[in-house]
Amino acid sequence: MAEYSEVSKQPRDDPLYLNAWREAKLILSIWFTCLIYTVGVCYLYGYLSHEPDPAATGPSVGVLAGPLDAFNRAPESLQVPFGIGMPDWVFYGVGLPWLICIIVTWWFCLFYFVEDDLGPDLRKEETR
Amino acid sequence: MNITETNPVTIVTFLIYILGVFVLAGISHRFLRTGGFMGEYFLGGRGLRSWSLAFAFAATATSGGSFIGYPALIYTYGWVLAFWIASYMIYPLCAMGVLGKRLNQVARKTGAITIPDVLRDRFESPALGLFTTSTILLFTTCNLVAQFKAGAIIVEETFNLPESWGYSVGLVIFATVVIIYTAYGGFRAVVWTDVLQGVVMGIGVIILLPVIVNQVGGFGMLVQRLQERPPQVVTSLPGENNDLAYLLNPDVELEGVVYRAGPSSLVAPRVEVASVAGMDRPVLEVLLPPAETVPTRAVQIIDLIESDSRLSSLVSLKLAYENDGSGQLQPQALMRFIHPEAYLFGPGRRSDGLPFHPLGLAVSYFLMWAITAMGQPGMMVRLIAFRDSRTLKRAIIIVTFYFSLIYIPLVFIFTAGSLLLPYIPAESADKAMVLLAARVVGSMGFGYAILAAVFVAAPFAAVMSTVDSFLLMISSSIVRDIYQRTMNPNVREKTIRWASYVTTTVVGILVTVMASRTIDFLQYIVVFTSSGFACTFLAPTFLGIYWKGMTKEGAISSAAGGLGVILLFFLPTLWDAGRVNLMGFHPVLWGLIASFGLGIIVSRLTGPAPREIIDRYFHES
Repeated sequence: MAEYSEVSKQPRDDPLYLNAWREAKLILSIWFTCLIYTVGVCYLYGYLSHEPDPAATGPSVGVLAGPLDAFNRAPESLQVPFGIGMPDWVFYGVGLPWLICIIVTWWFCLFYFVEDDLGPDLRKEETR
Repeated sequence: MNITETNPVTIVTFLIYILGVFVLAGISHRFLRTGGFMGEYFLGGRGLRSWSLAFAFAATATSGGSFIGYPALIYTYGWVLAFWIASYMIYPLCAMGVLGKRLNQVARKTGAITIPDVLRDRFESPALGLFTTSTILLFTTCNLVAQFKAGAIIVEETFNLPESWGYSVGLVIFATVVIIYTAYGGFRAVVWTDVLQGVVMGIGVIILLPVIVNQVGGFGMLVQRLQERPPQVVTSLPGENNDLAYLLNPDVELEGVVYRAGPSSLVAPRVEVASVAGMDRPVLEVLLPPAETVPTRAVQIIDLIESDSRLSSLVSLKLAYENDGSGQLQPQALMRFIHPEAYLFGPGRRSDGLPFHPLGLAVSYFLMWAITAMGQPGMMVRLIAFRDSRTLKRAIIIVTFYFSLIYIPLVFIFTAGSLLLPYIPAESADKAMVLLAARVVGSMGFGYAILAAVFVAAPFAAVMSTVDSFLLMISSSIVRDIYQRTMNPNVREKTIRWASYVTTTVVGILVTVMASRTIDFLQYIVVFTSSGFACTFLAPTFLGIYWKGMTKEGAISSAAGGLGVILLFFLPTLWDAGRVNLMGFHPVLWGLIASFGLGIIVSRLTGPAPREIIDRYFHES
């Protein structure tokens, strides 16, 4: 039987469900931020050409994004930050956010994630 | 440096590793005698701890695609693959953190041990259970065929088996190893070997990185060496030993190479520089006499160009890897030169001139890895097998570090590898990892030969760890979801035990037969099956555990709609046409939109969900 709160006579939501939903919303927001940043930086600063996709069915999103020829990279402009053998656009578009994601994941798990009780396993209960 | 054969020391070390896998299976089999067979065989007793959950999850996610297909794409297209794989930066947090805790709780409430179990119980719908089970059978079988191909290539190249029959024998050896230990040991054997294999993969990549990069002069020289590479194209045609690499000489402007059928009067091949309508630059045209009268051998073209000073001032030719040039040439469409900058910048360039990673696909793949990972039943089942919330939390951190140590280093390794082992045609690029590990590293001396075994074991481990969990997923679908829950709920445990062993073995044998035909670019099959799984499972599961309004009808529509879109968009590939990339986006994006959209709309129309179900799954008890 569900437990009902005295004030509203409505059943209380399972705290694990509420915590998990709160955590899921934050994770999806982080993912979306990464999507915007990484795709933005890599596409604008790491592409030799910004042509529409000839294999697209219907109008390509590359066309809808508008003319971006001003962002076409010249091959000779390539830099290798810190001499680590990684092209500059990969370093700023992928390497750096990757490092930040490691830190954010660590923070999320240690300080945001709630260690809820998962409850009994019905299968084991029945076995007993 | 002899790189045509694997060092025997490498082979012996590799065999010792395989023996270790069997020992683990034997030990884990003893656990099957304790506790209920079904829960132990398919779920390991829901007792996974942090490291085993982390490695079981990581090793399942890190498949033959990661260690064979992904390196092949890096080898072929270069640094744009770092962008292609970029959402792995957030993959563990998304794939484990969004659903993990809640899914585990919901599974415990009903004692579910498979994902169709969870959906069937949550929505009280045997139809949904059977539908999702059938989807698992369909896509898992496709994926297994690709994984078995990867396993067969590794054995073939490691043991220096001849090309004519090496793949078949490699396939049989791989299948035998993996079927025996999976069928015998069950889930616990799979998890233990996943841990072993995860460690092997990690160590393999970490050591391979400096070894390979040093071979090209160190990290500081890597980009420069790639920039200095001449524009090149490897022409690869049906048949063996006819793959030629054309290297463009400095300051020469040519678009590409085309093989055309010459007039019937032609008795010897001819090479010309020709103009093509709509192209700024001319092409190198190879005219071939009628093959039925005068077959042209690849090596003839080399002689022809080298003996003509005008032609040899334009291009120089090399035989592609493991190729003696005796094979026959046939007419073939234009293949364009790939310039070195295409290897260092986006969008990457295919030899047919199309961009490899345009904007639509860039967005789609960022969605593909991190978000579709949540909807993979092979990984979701790990999320209902862990012990407590703390276990999940620690495992997310471990997997995050682990993936960081694998995926970006692989880009360094295989861009460097393309300099060490040049001219592997795109169709054979799936061999790049094994050739680089077994042949290049193995030939560097005794110590390196042992290390090479670790490097070969890494992709082998990646493939095995995916295959074993998929084999188990198929057999659990058949034994648990179809036989026990639908046909015979009162089946005796002894019958289940034997049904599980036999099903795992029979499925393994069937997949072996299906994989006996070779397939190009393994990674594309992995992408297809991942998309299919995500569009079928993600929306019903996500909405089912987080939205009180989700109804049985909504869940069925959501699963069927997502699957339908994927199958429809991939349908043209059956006729060798391209898949439907609506607006340039990968079908997975449209499949997920359809699946979530239908789930919400149909639930709104058929709701509200029964009160007792909401109480059971969403309210405090």
